[in-house]
Amino acid sequence: MPRPPSDADFTSRLRSAAVTARVGLWLGICFGIAFVTGLISHYAQNADHPLLFPTSPSWGYRFTQGLHVVAGTAAVPLLLVKLWTVYPRLFLRPPRELRRLVLDGLERVSIAVLVAASIFQLASGTLNSAQWYPWAFSFRATHYAVAWVAIGALLVHIAVKLPIIRRALTSDIESTVDDRPTATVPGAVSRRGLVRTAFLASGVAALAVAGGAVPFLRKVSVFAVRSGEGPQGVPVNKSAAAARITDEMVGPAYRLEVVYGDHRTSLTRADLQEMAQRTESLPIACVEGWSAGAVWTGVRVRDLLDLVDAPTGRDVDVYSLQPSGPYRHTVLQGNFADDTRTLVALALHGEPLNRDHGEPARLIAPDRPGVLQTKWLSRLEVSA
Amino acid sequence: MTGTRVGMGALGVVAGLYGGWLLLSRGHDFLDLAEWLVVGVALHDAVLSVVVLALGAVVLRRLPRAAKAPAVVGFVVLGSATLFAVPVLGRFGARADNPSLLDRNYWAGWLTLAALVVVAVALASFVRSRRRRT
Repeated sequence: MPRPPSDADFTSRLRSAAVTARVGLWLGICFGIAFVTGLISHYAQNADHPLLFPTSPSWGYRFTQGLHVVAGTAAVPLLLVKLWTVYPRLFLRPPRELRRLVLDGLERVSIAVLVAASIFQLASGTLNSAQWYPWAFSFRATHYAVAWVAIGALLVHIAVKLPIIRRALTSDIESTVDDRPTATVPGAVSRRGLVRTAFLASGVAALAVAGGAVPFLRKVSVFAVRSGEGPQGVPVNKSAAAARITDEMVGPAYRLEVVYGDHRTSLTRADLQEMAQRTESLPIACVEGWSAGAVWTGVRVRDLLDLVDAPTGRDVDVYSLQPSGPYRHTVLQGNFADDTRTLVALALHGEPLNRDHGEPARLIAPDRPGVLQTKWLSRLEVSA
Repeated sequence: MTGTRVGMGALGVVAGLYGGWLLLSRGHDFLDLAEWLVVGVALHDAVLSVVVLALGAVVLRRLPRAAKAPAVVGFVVLGSATLFAVPVLGRFGARADNPSLLDRNYWAGWLTLAALVVVAVALASFVRSRRRRT
């Protein structure tokens, strides 16, 4: 009768803490980058900014969110190799003595949480960037909450393993001090070879998606979710059809309402075109990591707010013509509304906006997540 | 070092509990999430790991000595890339109303990467077998 596998059955000397620690160091760095850039993105998407989110540099969010997706993707091969090196530990027999049994159990629980949260973060992030949502939960809230679980479990893991990590990283990679007794059979590659292989696979992974945010890498990024092409040379996240924008909504009856208390004005397309036109070069940077530089022309938001005598520094409620969806209403924080580069854009690359880019008018502000760059604008409202 | 470890562990527990509290307190579809968390680990521990073990036992053992190391390197690079490319290869999120989404020929990209890996593995194996003989 076959017995369950035991850790002693795994004999490769590549499955060693010396390899685990070296790959794990870079995995930890990738997780750290993804966590920090993720917090930035989450905060940027909040309506309420007790601490002002900066409007400069205009490419800030493009950079941090591109980095978020690249770091997460680069972590995939590192996580797989690292888990391979520690797989035998899954079959370690629990200790007999009660105190050690409890400690072992606690550590296993923390590892289970770490592995589950890590796989979940990488898998759900990868699926989300390809706009594949085979789940019932809210992606943004869940990916954010599980990120805290993952980073917490990672800190606990590092704390528990710190002596081994130190020993492994400061001694020779061939050292066997922390190896299991049966891990003695040479592998197909050397230990150094396996670590380098993990780094190579990680680099290939990063290159395969980085072109979504880094234009000169587009040709080599064979798995980027966007080629960078689209109407007027810019990709689209949500089409007019998906947002249920009709011809009537954007036809002659179109008006942009600007409201501040009792002061209100209603502008036609022609009214908007008659106002002072500004041209700004601002990237559109999607929360899914892709981004594109673009040149927008339109009316300064501050000029519009001045029409209704709205004071500076006030948050602006921004409404879209789209009948439903979580981004029908967004908040444009006061510092973004007052920034001279923030426009109600009417044109992209010198041509009137394509319907899928928000015809007749869309918001474009520097250093802002793409989902908040509201398209098919209907109303700007400053609360009195 | 003990102080650092205790502090780090405590910080980790607080961060993890905060994440757990966020999940439980905000009316999430917790069962759906729990299913995803468990399925992810199960797929890795019981499916992917076993497949890799089997490949090692069946395929790697039969390869000529000079080809073993290059094959392992090629497998890790191509295998992990294939895994995270599943959503784009399947184009599961594609939408008829938005041609700018998932607009690359991902299979051509995958075949190019696979061809590069195969050529590199073959070249490295050839060079290693020559070196061994001399």
